[in-house]
Amino acid sequence: MMNTSKQRVLTALMNILLLIYAVFALFPLLWMVMISFKADTEVFTTTFIFNPTLANYKEVLFRSNYARYIIDSLIVSGGAVLVSVVVGVPAAYALARYNFPRKEELAFQILSFKFAPEILVVLPLFMLYQKMGLYDSYIGLIWVYQLISLPLLIWVVRGYFEDISVEIEYAAQVDGYPWYQIFFKMLIPLIKPGLVSSALLAFIFAWNSFTFPLILASSKVYPVTVAITKYLGTDTARYGNLAVAATVSALPAIIFALFIQKHLVRGLSFGAVKG
Amino acid sequence: MKKILVVLMILVVLMTGVFAQGSKEAASEKFDPSAVKGNFDWKMYDGSEITVLFSDHTYASAVEAKLKDFTDKTGIKVNYSSMPEGNYFEKLNVELASRSGSIDVFMTGAYQSWGYATAGNVEPLENYINNASLTDKSWNYSDFIPGVIDALKWDLKPGHPVGKGSQWALPMGWEVNILTYNKKVLADKGLNPPKTAEELLSVAKALKEFGGSGTYGLAVRGLPDWGTIHPAYMSLYSTWGAKDFEVVNGKLVSRVNSPEAVAMTEYWVDLVKNGGAPQWASYGWELCGADLGAGKAAMMWDADRGGYTQNVKGASAQAGNLAFGMVPYPVSAGKTEADMKSNLWVWSMAMNSASNKKGPAWQFMQYFTSPEFMLWSGTEGSCTDTPRTSVLTSQAYRNSVADAEGYYEAFSKVSKDASIFFTAQPYFVETTTEWAKVLQELVTTNKYPSVQVAMDRLKKTMDNIVADLKVE
Amino acid sequence: MGNNNLGIKKVDLNKVPFKVRVRPYLIVAPSLIITIGIMVPFVMAIWFSFTNYSFQFPTHRFVGLDNWVNMLTSREFWNALKISLLYGLFSTAIEILLGLGIALLLNSLNNWLSKVLRVLLVFPLMVAPVTATIVWQLMLNSSVGIVEKLFNLFGLYNFPWAASPDTALMTVIMIDVWINTSFVILLVLAGLQSLPKSPFESAKIDGGSAWFNFKNLTLPMLKPSLYIALLFRLMAALQEYAVIFALTKGGPGDTLMSLSLTSYQKGFTFQKFGSAIPYILVLWLIINVLAKWIVKRQRIAQKQASGLEG
Repeated sequence: MMNTSKQRVLTALMNILLLIYAVFALFPLLWMVMISFKADTEVFTTTFIFNPTLANYKEVLFRSNYARYIIDSLIVSGGAVLVSVVVGVPAAYALARYNFPRKEELAFQILSFKFAPEILVVLPLFMLYQKMGLYDSYIGLIWVYQLISLPLLIWVVRGYFEDISVEIEYAAQVDGYPWYQIFFKMLIPLIKPGLVSSALLAFIFAWNSFTFPLILASSKVYPVTVAITKYLGTDTARYGNLAVAATVSALPAIIFALFIQKHLVRGLSFGAVKG
Repeated sequence: MKKILVVLMILVVLMTGVFAQGSKEAASEKFDPSAVKGNFDWKMYDGSEITVLFSDHTYASAVEAKLKDFTDKTGIKVNYSSMPEGNYFEKLNVELASRSGSIDVFMTGAYQSWGYATAGNVEPLENYINNASLTDKSWNYSDFIPGVIDALKWDLKPGHPVGKGSQWALPMGWEVNILTYNKKVLADKGLNPPKTAEELLSVAKALKEFGGSGTYGLAVRGLPDWGTIHPAYMSLYSTWGAKDFEVVNGKLVSRVNSPEAVAMTEYWVDLVKNGGAPQWASYGWELCGADLGAGKAAMMWDADRGGYTQNVKGASAQAGNLAFGMVPYPVSAGKTEADMKSNLWVWSMAMNSASNKKGPAWQFMQYFTSPEFMLWSGTEGSCTDTPRTSVLTSQAYRNSVADAEGYYEAFSKVSKDASIFFTAQPYFVETTTEWAKVLQELVTTNKYPSVQVAMDRLKKTMDNIVADLKVE
Repeated sequence: MGNNNLGIKKVDLNKVPFKVRVRPYLIVAPSLIITIGIMVPFVMAIWFSFTNYSFQFPTHRFVGLDNWVNMLTSREFWNALKISLLYGLFSTAIEILLGLGIALLLNSLNNWLSKVLRVLLVFPLMVAPVTATIVWQLMLNSSVGIVEKLFNLFGLYNFPWAASPDTALMTVIMIDVWINTSFVILLVLAGLQSLPKSPFESAKIDGGSAWFNFKNLTLPMLKPSLYIALLFRLMAALQEYAVIFALTKGGPGDTLMSLSLTSYQKGFTFQKFGSAIPYILVLWLIINVLAKWIVKRQRIAQKQASGLEG
């Protein structure tokens, strides 16, 4: 039994440590948002006290093709994650539950596609895509993004499936529930933390991908990550515009993250099924 | 499972061998510009479609703004896309390497075109220019500033200077590299704007921390890439009388360890260490301009556009306080104002030799380099570095740059002797990157006992890089 | 049906009809098909490494092992190898330890601070690495940077950060840690949130110390997630080039020229694609070896953890 004042000191210490890290992690973001509201003349000469202006926002959001870049990113990243989930969750289940020959090799094989460094494959891929007509297309990018999203999703979700004791499934089968009800109503809720966290990460990685969209797309498909450096400008460095482009570009992922928050914590009623 | 994969892989290798060769055969049907006859007509290629890839730049934005006018006049549809400058050449390299004709017109600099033309990726333009059936009478080739248009001509022989040979590209805009300084800061410290290299050094040193910690005298680029060598460094290097390469017995031999080159580099290292930015090695043009505009750097030696755009009202904190000098020349090396040499950079557009739409592509190129378009872009389109004499001498142009003190004079004077002082060879990017790395090592480390030793080693590296080039 | 007391999930395949036996393969097949396409460009790239393929010249020819020999005998290769390994190992190690610690803090504290931070601390990952690097570069700049101003308060002036060979690696690792610790935090937090309650309840009854619980209950059950985080972070950190490129383009000198950046420069900037590939293939081999090792340990940890919960 712990001494309460010792406990209080410990708690205070923990809070302080957390706060220190939070400052390190969040201050640059705060600073970036501040810059987005600064006029070019003030970006370097002021720190916290300045005259906020919406000029950068107007210029980026309304007088450039920004909206179109965001939409392209949404289609490609969202599409990639969707495909990965639809294809990957069943695969993760199979790799967790079934014990078939060469199972581990297969799992490793899927993982190994993530080892292929982007710069290694991007030039041959460029040539192939041009021949196959996939260059500068949504499907082309969604397919290539699978390299980024699928292995992560499968491996994380597989772990969560493996954590679930197989007895529950058998019990449900014995009770007469069909496989799709067991899968969707029982198993999916149990793996939710793993599923949503890896889906969010897959989305973020796909969204931030730079090399693939740069080389494999040009005019019809233009994800926002490639476009952000455009806003840095060509004669003078427009850091204010860059900050706007970057801040707004992070919003979809932020919304996604807020949305999944409640799923990251599994309901208490399911605590009973483990062990 | 493994055996099947191995078999698959062998099949794939065989297939790709076929692929790789095949892409060359799929090249464009031969288009012979000199075979085109008849009267020139803007609607000659009505209904065709071309793809254009540009680097994000003011010159590109000017073109983009008038795309609709072009389509209305010629009936040619344009698929236009532009990439951020930092990654543009990587993207372009991949597109051209595939030789698939996916781009018809692209933006390039003079130096890069040496590599592309040697690789056979660029269509020579003289037969288009000289064919009255393909080129509008009023287009007026001789109106281009000689130094600028010649910079884009080369006969593909390493070691031969630019100015003779095929016309590989048409200029969109160009830059000389002059000094920009903050009038107010210099006046506050009682210093005169430097005219010679010695003055530059002493003024830069005197201005160290002129406004407290973090402020300094002269902003110049320091990243390990070609951009660090070509603006200020190469201009001073050439003014000092040094050459990068010379042709000896049919081979390109690097001359970076000659006495003039070493003296100039010793000066440069001193200048950067004692008068330059504390974090010089990570500075590109963006940070140089930003520091000048924020009042942290008292002077900047970089592209004239860099200084000019910082001075435009509302662009930066120091806008209005900036004025323009020229190229500081080394009196100690016996040089005078007449020896001032500024290296030249020309943003230009070129035609892909693998293109299937060369006729319409040429229409695009001549429209956007025509006197009418360039008068508009030079005055209202912010393309202040116009390559056409008619625009440069026009009153409209003079009025538009009148606010920048000393700009018009400096620009006009230095342009007369501006040229490309690099020896034309296709390995330009690699040799200058190695050069910049050695500069960095000289400034930030004690790796070399002396500048001479460093340049001797650099010479060997550069000789190796160009070793397989045949020079006549 | 194989179902023994240890809760091992096994289906006795000999007694199962073909239709059912082939089911797992069918379920996994789409994932495999989608990703197997990458083998084609991969093999093409290997082929190019044996040629003098360069964008400079209209044709290319077979040059055998020239590119490989040149690479292995060059000083820049060994330098690049060293930098890739230092960067990869250090940044991953810091991210794992820091991420684990922060996730534990977030999980143990239940005040409003930890609840808010659970969401906010993922945000650094959402800014694209290149953008994050540009922002940090501005903050660390000695003329206009805010970190510099902070340091000035403590009497420290003109800290070189990325501009000096002595501090460049540390700077770039710091930026990498800033971006990617969130990845570890998210994975570990998700893992902590789904830990079963009963082992902890039993331990409470048995009366063990917090440290004991951590070492023998929490950590083993977290290990599978930690290994996954380690695996993915290490693979990505070894391949990283965008952050270094945006910060210093590999400088000063050769200080930050990792294998991937060297390959990028040779291939895309100097256009000598054939000679660039061996560098990146070596990287791929290293990643493969390391990954096999980590995966093996992950599988063991996974089995142990599932056993603890069964």
